[in-house]
Amino acid sequence: MTFKLNRRGFGRLAGSTAVAGLLAATGSAARAAASLRLIWWGNPERDKRTIAVVDLYKKASGDEVGAESYAWGDYWAKLATQAAGQNLPDVIQMDYRYIFEYARRNQLAALDGFIGKELNLGDFDPNQLDSGKVDGKTYGISLGANSMSHVFNKTLLDGLGVKLPDSSKWTTAEWVALGKDLKGKLPAGIFFSENMGLLEPRLQTWVRSLGRDLYTADGKIGYELGDLVSFFEFWKMMQDEGLTPPADVQAQDSGKMEESMMVTKRAAFNFLHSNQLVAMQKLVESEVDVVMIPGNGDKAGQYLKPSMFMSIAETSADKASAARLLNFFATDESANDILLIERGVTGDASIRDRILPKLNPTEQKIINYLNLVSTRVSPLPPPPPKNAGEIDKALRPAWESVAFGRAKLEDAAKTYYDNAVAILARA
Amino acid sequence: MTDSVAISGRQDVLPVVSNGGFRREIRRSLPGYLFLLPWLTGFFVLTLGPTLASLYLSFTDYDLLSPPRWAGLKNFEYAFTQDMRLRSAVSVTFNYVLWSVPLKLAVALGLAMVLDRSVRGVGFYRAIFYLPSLLGASVAISVLWRQIFGAEGLVNKLLYLTTGLQGPSWVSHPDYALWTLIALAVWQFGSPMIIFLAGLRQIPQDLYEAASMDGASGWRQFWKITLPLLAPVIFFNLVFQTIEAFKAFTQAFIISGGEGWPIDSTLFYSLYLYIEAFANFRMGYASALAWLLLIIIAAFTAIAFATSKYWVYYEDESR
Repeated sequence: MTFKLNRRGFGRLAGSTAVAGLLAATGSAARAAASLRLIWWGNPERDKRTIAVVDLYKKASGDEVGAESYAWGDYWAKLATQAAGQNLPDVIQMDYRYIFEYARRNQLAALDGFIGKELNLGDFDPNQLDSGKVDGKTYGISLGANSMSHVFNKTLLDGLGVKLPDSSKWTTAEWVALGKDLKGKLPAGIFFSENMGLLEPRLQTWVRSLGRDLYTADGKIGYELGDLVSFFEFWKMMQDEGLTPPADVQAQDSGKMEESMMVTKRAAFNFLHSNQLVAMQKLVESEVDVVMIPGNGDKAGQYLKPSMFMSIAETSADKASAARLLNFFATDESANDILLIERGVTGDASIRDRILPKLNPTEQKIINYLNLVSTRVSPLPPPPPKNAGEIDKALRPAWESVAFGRAKLEDAAKTYYDNAVAILARA
Repeated sequence: MTDSVAISGRQDVLPVVSNGGFRREIRRSLPGYLFLLPWLTGFFVLTLGPTLASLYLSFTDYDLLSPPRWAGLKNFEYAFTQDMRLRSAVSVTFNYVLWSVPLKLAVALGLAMVLDRSVRGVGFYRAIFYLPSLLGASVAISVLWRQIFGAEGLVNKLLYLTTGLQGPSWVSHPDYALWTLIALAVWQFGSPMIIFLAGLRQIPQDLYEAASMDGASGWRQFWKITLPLLAPVIFFNLVFQTIEAFKAFTQAFIISGGEGWPIDSTLFYSLYLYIEAFANFRMGYASALAWLLLIIIAAFTAIAFATSKYWVYYEDESR
């Protein structure tokens, strides 16, 4: 069939377009419904739940909500481009690393004026609320808390008769001893752990358990070169001992969960942010569970952190409507029945009590884990300085030049450390 | 015609005549411009505008979130004196161009010569060989490449079956990752192949017949007839493919995790430019890098043109 446009057809087409336009115009005038845009990063599971909540909200409020979702890696490029074009979506999922930069550059709206009105946060944990403050004003509402963890293949370890000790107390040495014990017993091709020498959050728990941190409160590097050398030495030892995969196998993981050593059946232990356990369990046949990260000293390496925020763009034409949508995500019962704890454990006490019984065993594990972590945490670190993202990404090539034997370990560590200082100075 | 006769009879109104001619000229060419309008709009709004904007931005500090600040030559100074990562990006890109372009052209020419015969179903084979280029530098192909050259990929399976050796994960090893990208580029030989085919058709058959009569071998015919007469086409393909190779982005972006991994071994120039602009929020610096890339490409093209008079021979000119 071909599409032929004659004079009459053209008239009809033009007419119907005009009518549709008129209808749209009168429609919006009559209802005065807001047209909002929502943007988040995530995974297929989160997309499914978020879109279900958006549909619910559209029905309840009559507002139009456009939804945009990206993977973490593409998200910040997309957001920065939209910010440059003065075209940010009304409601924005935010991260602790970026909220300071966006707020201080006047891209985000201060929410204090909406709290108690559109934002109904009476049951919210004040600590979680405080985590969204920048220079004394609230720029984001926390959607949940999480912490770092080691996820492990429970089915596999149970099958070998391994019982893990109380992970809130265990040390790096004990963890390595376990690895050496398991080395001959694990099935061929499966290593004890993924190699975490390239992961900045793992470096952070390493230096925090030594009483330091990645950054100081005034935005300088917060650890010493020697700490980094010991970190690299440890993971090089793990690789040389055959407790972690060879460098080229490990390097196949580009940071997507489906490429991780755990999911590709190459490791029994993997690094994970606790709220990701839901998504991880969907990708692995065996049962997985989370434990705390072994430490180096008597200091706690981990902390409870806001997994993500929701913020409102300063350029939003209808901030009150945007705040109502945000409130729906943060405090609405039916919405949270769908969201559960996929974004982290909510700070709203009544919501938490309501959803706890509805959780499946995997989600229950996350709750138990966070309860365990909260017995042994140190305070939230200061926000990372500008350009911290670049320093984060530079760790991987630095580690890989050690792992592939391209550079002497001390040289690679020193180059990275000096480079990090230079990047901060360039900011 | 009748119009102009009538007008030429009335000399006293000459200015009016030229005015009317001008109007008529406009009226005559207006539809042409109207038809061109979509393209013109695209050119001015989507190409020229951003190009000029990036020239301005290359002299500024611009992080996308706050307005650009004038920085003079700072960006260029940093690129030339301090940026160590730019040096690896330039060296990776030069390596890529110097290997992928000649290899790709050689494969394209070889296949074009094989297909330049009246074999039954040759059209089908041409279509098949062109297929990889249709798929192009797409995301799907790059993902496929990751699988083929992974630790348990097709390449290693074949290697194991034939030699019993266990190969490394080629895509994620710094010694080989760039070579998988060069292989990907060579595999997409379709468009230069088609152009070579057209060029081969232009070569008069009687030259080959005469050469055969004189007892010239196929090899000698290739060097003395095919290559010289194909020189303009080779030149075109060389320039075109070199420019394309300098601009390569998608393949490296997908295969290297968007970061030039492992250890900057696949950090193409345009990938580094992208990282600086959108991951590190230095749009001003990235704009400067873009203009430097333009200058590099222009220089290489100029070199190709300058040397062409020594090796490219056009049939309609005498030497």
